[in-house]
Amino acid sequence: MTTTRPAPSRTAMIEIIKVSKEYPPHMTALSDISVSVASGEMFFVIGKSGAGKTTLLKLLCNMERPSNGLIEVAGMNINQITGNKLAKLRQRVGMAYQDFRLLADRTVAENIAISMEVSYKKPQIISERVKSLLAQLQLEDKHDDLTGNLSRGEQQRVALARAVANSPTLILVDEPTGNLDAISTAQVMDLLSKCTLSGATVVIVTHDDAIYRHTHHRVMKLDQGRIAALSQGNHI
Amino acid sequence: MNFWFSVLRQTGRNLRQTWPTQFMTCLTVSLSVLIFSFFYLVYLNMLTAGDKVSDDLRLVVFLEDEPGPEMQEQLRNKITQFDPVQEIKFISKKEAYDRFAEQLGDNREVLTDMPTDFLPPSIEVIPFKNFRSLKQIKLFADYLATIPGSQKVQYGQKWVERFYSFTQLLSIIVLLSGLLLFLTASFMVASTIRLTIFGRQEELELLKLVGATNNYIRTPFLLEGLMQGFLGSFLGLTALYTLFQWFIRHFSGAGFLDIIPFSFFSPGIIATILLASIALCTIGSYTSMQKFLRV
Ligand SMILES: Nc1ncnc2c1ncn2[C@@H]1O[C@H](COP(=O)(O)OP(=O)(O)OP(=O)(O)O)[C@@H](O)[C@H]1O
Ligand SMILES: [Mg+2]
Repeated sequence: MTTTRPAPSRTAMIEIIKVSKEYPPHMTALSDISVSVASGEMFFVIGKSGAGKTTLLKLLCNMERPSNGLIEVAGMNINQITGNKLAKLRQRVGMAYQDFRLLADRTVAENIAISMEVSYKKPQIISERVKSLLAQLQLEDKHDDLTGNLSRGEQQRVALARAVANSPTLILVDEPTGNLDAISTAQVMDLLSKCTLSGATVVIVTHDDAIYRHTHHRVMKLDQGRIAALSQGNHI
Repeated sequence: MNFWFSVLRQTGRNLRQTWPTQFMTCLTVSLSVLIFSFFYLVYLNMLTAGDKVSDDLRLVVFLEDEPGPEMQEQLRNKITQFDPVQEIKFISKKEAYDRFAEQLGDNREVLTDMPTDFLPPSIEVIPFKNFRSLKQIKLFADYLATIPGSQKVQYGQKWVERFYSFTQLLSIIVLLSGLLLFLTASFMVASTIRLTIFGRQEELELLKLVGATNNYIRTPFLLEGLMQGFLGSFLGLTALYTLFQWFIRHFSGAGFLDIIPFSFFSPGIIATILLASIALCTIGSYTSMQKFLRV
């Protein structure tokens, strides 16, 4: 099974090897992407609108399948596993979607709880976790509001809270700060940093140069589905 | 433990959101259970009635002459060649006369001027008391007409034939209503569940994305199907029982119906009807769910 590859300095959480994605009929969203993200790393993906950033995240959580190439998450080829194994893997991967995918007719608390309920966490643990996340994002007073009634910025933070609630080992966030002011942006980045500190790998897709300009983490720039630049970072 | 907690909460949510459809489905299921079990109950009671009536059922073969003991043995063999029977009795002229006199009772003086041998001798054939011999009675009678010395064969012809064709019609109706029950239980429930799935597509997709196992997604819907099946058949049978009680109260003691000992289903049959509709409804929802989960 194991191919002869130079072993990375830390164990890799994500291995992307020569991956292409083509949407029928002729849209090449990604071509020949190879990159590896170490476990515990914070990794930024930037690029123009339509560059393929969301597509990359969708491949990582198996919402889409690559047309070519291999993707390994936590050592598993995610396009080969199915059924309960896939479910178990997805419980360990939290994703905040660009379009949020919140259930508009459920409360904020219920939306966040979903990701923990599927792995059968105790109701008491769930409600404590929900409260602490809402406190960190300054949304305590929205606990029982329907998410359909929230502002875009509030919805964005609820989506993020749901992604990190189950303490996943891999967190994928798509435009986490698109609708946020500077203070809320800082709170969101704070939360994500805490997640990396506790060992999670975090991949952040963003347009917002305020959050990656001065970072010491690696930044990958996509352009028309290809890697245009990959800064080395200086955190190691 | 937590699994069932989540599943029950999810089921509660489903019911709260879609109870009007669920209610209609439940009613449809109970109506078809009612229709099926009504006919089945009538059918079963006709069978018992048939048994009871065939207690008095006998074929009488009138003979030209009294058969001697040897002849009697031959006739016996001939009759049992067609079908084994419960009893064969030879009635001599004298016996026939005595019986008749007894039936007349106080009016027996009308016989005083008659010779004691004016009635013909006969053979009484009492078939086994089961439904099969009732079905064959006409054939049997035709056969008996052909044995040597036979002049005329008598039984409650019209009556028996009508009874038989009625029960046969009834058994067809039972089959048809059983089919109706099968279709409504499996297809109605399947389509209700499909509707629910359709209305909650977004949520179910999300559940898959956050790593819900198929069982986590499926079980609430299976539970719903199970409940539809149970409640539907329970309501249907309760309605039938109420009808049955009402019928007994209003029509017992009213002449002919007293002949037939009406009875409700045995516990075994009740359990079978309940289990069958539960199984059908659960299978219906399972197939709907499989279609969704495979996508
Ligand atoms: N399901 C799809 N079918 C066909 N084409 C698609 C599909 N999804 C994305 N695309 C195309 O693939 C390209 C990359 O899309 P993607 O959503 O990955 O861009 P993005 O980098 O996330 O852009 P943005 O910054 O605007 O979110 C786009 O040109 C888009 O039109
Ligand atoms: Mg995008």
